[in-house]
Amino acid sequence: MEVDSKPEEAKTVDAAPATTAPPTVAEKLKAVVSLVEKSVKAKDTRLLIGRLLRQTASVRKQLKSTNVKDFLRATLPADLDARSFLISSVEQAASTAMDADGEATTSPACEATTVIPEVELYAYLIVLLFLCDGKHFQLAKAVADNAVARVGAFNRRTLDVIAARVYFYYGLAYEMTGEQASIRSALLALHRTAVLRHDAVGQETLINLLLRNYLHDNLYDQAEKFRSKAQKSDQFRSGQQYCRYLYYLGRIRTIQLEYTEAKDCLQQALRRAPTIAHGFRITASKWLILVRLLLGEIPDRTEFAQPGMSSALQPYFEVTQSVKAGDTLAFKQVADKFSSVFLADRTHNLITRLHQNVIRIGLRRINLAYSRIGLNEIAAKLHLASAEDAEYIVAKAIRDGGIDAVIDHEGGFVSSRERVDVYSTCEPQAAFHARIAFCLDLHNEAIKAMRFEPDAHRRKAESTEALQERLAAEQELAKALEEDDGDDF
Amino acid sequence: MAFQEATKLLQTLKTALGKGDLNGADAALSQLKLKLIQLPALPPTFEKTANAQQELLLGREVLEQAVLLALRKADEAGMERAFAQLRTYYNDTRPVLPPSSSELPLQGLDLLRLLVQNRIAEFHTQLELLAPEAQQDPAIKQPVQLSPRRAQQDPAIKQPVQLEQWLMEGAYNKVLAASRAGASEVQGVLLAQLATTVRDEAASCAEKAYERLRLADAQRLLLFDSEAALRSYAEEHGWSVSADGYLCFKQAAAEGGAAAPTTASRAIPSLELINNALVYAKELERIV
Repeated sequence: MEVDSKPEEAKTVDAAPATTAPPTVAEKLKAVVSLVEKSVKAKDTRLLIGRLLRQTASVRKQLKSTNVKDFLRATLPADLDARSFLISSVEQAASTAMDADGEATTSPACEATTVIPEVELYAYLIVLLFLCDGKHFQLAKAVADNAVARVGAFNRRTLDVIAARVYFYYGLAYEMTGEQASIRSALLALHRTAVLRHDAVGQETLINLLLRNYLHDNLYDQAEKFRSKAQKSDQFRSGQQYCRYLYYLGRIRTIQLEYTEAKDCLQQALRRAPTIAHGFRITASKWLILVRLLLGEIPDRTEFAQPGMSSALQPYFEVTQSVKAGDTLAFKQVADKFSSVFLADRTHNLITRLHQNVIRIGLRRINLAYSRIGLNEIAAKLHLASAEDAEYIVAKAIRDGGIDAVIDHEGGFVSSRERVDVYSTCEPQAAFHARIAFCLDLHNEAIKAMRFEPDAHRRKAESTEALQERLAAEQELAKALEEDDGDDF
Repeated sequence: MAFQEATKLLQTLKTALGKGDLNGADAALSQLKLKLIQLPALPPTFEKTANAQQELLLGREVLEQAVLLALRKADEAGMERAFAQLRTYYNDTRPVLPPSSSELPLQGLDLLRLLVQNRIAEFHTQLELLAPEAQQDPAIKQPVQLSPRRAQQDPAIKQPVQLEQWLMEGAYNKVLAASRAGASEVQGVLLAQLATTVRDEAASCAEKAYERLRLADAQRLLLFDSEAALRSYAEEHGWSVSADGYLCFKQAAAEGGAAAPTTASRAIPSLELINNALVYAKELERIV
């Protein structure tokens, strides 16, 4: 947790009670609120997205019912409906959780009589954060319902960033209470609205929420139909949302047997995921490992040994080993041993699909090792029932290009064809091409990802005040990037 | 009242289907569909009327019969259509309706249909929708009881899953044996089609894998009933039968043995190379 005060806060804390050095939760929240107000006034929310979320994340772990109540009392005017509603929600949560904090310290009541919608929604967001962290999902659901209804009442672009976060917790609260199916049409309507209003951040968040919602119920068909038909900009505004999107897309492609594309998506998702998003990385790795196995690749041992992931990936490691050995018996044992794990990960169907790859790899090993081998020997080695089974399986492997051999039916053996030197084929050229294409693509993506302020060319010189503020913001960003490890994803 | 009439029509449909009177059943079904439109509780409106449950039950049963009818008529497109409608009932009315006894067998049939049509991707998409339950082996008892009601355990589902696995492995003999064994009457139609699909697959494998094959062996491998059937099949595929009773596959003869590496090195994919080079040039120009 960061303790040093930020220059930003020192400037903006005005009405707060005079406390000493490290800023309290209340002060930090106050700073955020004034930040929101300022950027709304300037009609510029681009900076908001990062700073708001970073600063909120920094107080998130310190949120307690008393803090939150104080904050609500201090920011929302007394006659606002939301105020009493939110406070009562927080109190309910506190009473069930047996918060031992005692009663709230007296805090200054809000002097303003009106409050801008952004701040109101931010208050909702804080309450949602608090409730979700405390696992009061039923309460969070009610709050989220109200918040979403409230968002719908406004049409302000400055609200988008906060609204997107609200949507996220809306989805989370419903998923945790197991009622995700009931909000599907609401989410679709919200997505529609977001598209019509060119609310890019909201669109991205909602696309991912919907995909998650569909995939939660294994509705791959619907998810794919929605994904392919939903309007979306070429470039995601938020890297994190893009990362999630890639992961969902990868899963859909895996189910549809488009393994190459699935691999690309999952790999990208994994690369883009921040190091602290541990659960996400583990899940994405599991899928990626299976997809690579299904493609006939053997993932490197180091991929299983990433810090903190080795124990979670253990079942997949054993699967990989059995596939690598082409040993059908070992594969079956591993699949049986960890079947409950695979069921929980919802990958059991993929494991079933892997069975043929095990046979194929075993066959390839045999083909490489022997120039001529009897079909009954193959059957014995691969633990197949009979030589006849082996014959069919070898025939299919030959047709699919897995092995290069000829079956002699009368002799009952398989003889390998002479191995062609791989450098006399187009293989190296294809591999080279794939790498060049990847690099060029990376370059183009990087260029596309650069975004410029719309009127940057017009502005001649910054006023000193603006310059100072920009420097402060940059400093803060740099610091946040440094300590990214501690922050929430 | 549309509901009563529809109930009566459903009886007619069922008896007609039971007697094997396909035309009669067809006529009853088209009338039924008209009646169903008038029921407000059915999808897509899902109005919460007083007897919504009965109406939904009725609608579901009608469509279940429709799937069976289409199957009898060997009308794959019709079956797909009926099942697409039925799926709404299975997926979206779970909280309201008691589970249908014929749900799993019908899902199994649908999986089989996708398999016959070689739509493997959709097969897997459907499969994901079914029961995240112990499917590998009945011997392993699962601690996680996600939804005990539905199960890929069910033989109706297990069969297509097993068939798919065999198909992917290339164990065509097992698939063909299974289709010969033919379970129920309704499945018979699909399994027979599956046999044809599989035979084609097996034939294309044989083309590549063997240089030549004795006719009797080929007949056994491709599971033909008679040598004559094999001969006509061979003719269709342009395989020649040599005088000493061997079947020669043309491709195997054309590029067998040592000829392979030379042809591979000779055929330089010039068009592809040119295309690639042009793309690189364009991209580089953009960067520099």
